[in-house]
Amino acid sequence: MDTQSYLPVQPGVGMEENFLSLDDILLSHERLPVRTECAFPRLGFLEKSSDAQDIPEGTKMELPLWLSKGLYEKKRRVLSVELPKVYREGWRTVFNADPNVVDLHKMGPYYYGLGSQMLHFDSPENPEIGQTLLQTFIGRFRRTMDSSQNAYNEDTSALVERLDCLEKTLFKSGQSGLNGFQSWEKGQASQLTASSLVLNYRKRKMTDVQP
Amino acid sequence: MDPSEVEFLAEKEIVKIIPNFSLDKVYLIGGDLGPFNPGLPVDVPVWLALNLKQRQKCRIVPPAWMDVEKLEEMRDLERKEEAFTPVPSPYYMELTKLLLNYASDNIPKADEIRTLVKDIWDTRVAKLRLSADSFISQMEAHAKLDNLTLMEINTIRAFLLDSLNCMYKLRSNLQPGSSKGQFTDY
Repeated sequence: MDTQSYLPVQPGVGMEENFLSLDDILLSHERLPVRTECAFPRLGFLEKSSDAQDIPEGTKMELPLWLSKGLYEKKRRVLSVELPKVYREGWRTVFNADPNVVDLHKMGPYYYGLGSQMLHFDSPENPEIGQTLLQTFIGRFRRTMDSSQNAYNEDTSALVERLDCLEKTLFKSGQSGLNGFQSWEKGQASQLTASSLVLNYRKRKMTDVQP
Repeated sequence: MDPSEVEFLAEKEIVKIIPNFSLDKVYLIGGDLGPFNPGLPVDVPVWLALNLKQRQKCRIVPPAWMDVEKLEEMRDLERKEEAFTPVPSPYYMELTKLLLNYASDNIPKADEIRTLVKDIWDTRVAKLRLSADSFISQMEAHAKLDNLTLMEINTIRAFLLDSLNCMYKLRSNLQPGSSKGQFTDY
């Protein structure tokens, strides 16, 4: 019985982000290595490493995803975005070899989301990046399914810590299915229990009176 | 869907009882419930059987499949076959739980039956997970699942649908230009 009182907006997993989704908003704060193709006058304060007034052409700096996406345009050549380490050739071979070994939370908690957004920037390696994302997801699916469907009433932090945010949502929905079934089987589904909101508010005087 | 909702649907199944009171035929919207005479078996839905049992007005007769030898055969068959075998009843899990909770004195060897049904359930759920995994890893478009009960589908539904959604979106990344301008309604 875990229907929520509101439905949070899920992240858009593909190339389109959902404007209202909190996960996508947090995702767009990830920084990308970027090379400027033209000068940015009077914006020197954005780059911490040098004290110049302007940013000259050809500087390498880091900009968040929302800014890079807005400034990127194929024709006007304002920016050119480089792929972060995790999506390059070296790491891609690691993922293709064995997706289960990698700690995706350390690689950037939004591996799948950021990878899908990188496809906007028209890098020549786009097809391979897309393939690697898909294959990694498929490879890790089995382990996520097994761990979410079998861990009942245990501390799951050890299982969850190596998962990316997308996989964490999947894990949670698997857990909710399992918990619902187990609590039904134990007979707890038909017992009336106090709502957690009421208990947390701590205004129930009846429970203080009754032993 | 909640497990409680599946249990509610399961309570429509018919079971045989032996009442100890007498009552004329009752005409309900869902159907007629035949005249009740003490000592004579009559078919009623499970919700009525449980209610009468709690008021100590009847004795429940276990259904034909709720028998130790038959369940052992089904369990061994389930373990041998790779596909899903036909179930004793489309609501076997719910009926086992309800009948064994409320009427265990009318059912011989209740504990063994509970263990056997749990074994059958575990085998089927393991097969379900295996087929879900091969469904995703080979990226097939559809799968045929005979002989699955609603309760089993219900436990895996949320997880499988969410992961298939993710996989669809990751796959649409590979075809540029097909995913522009999709808006969902809230």
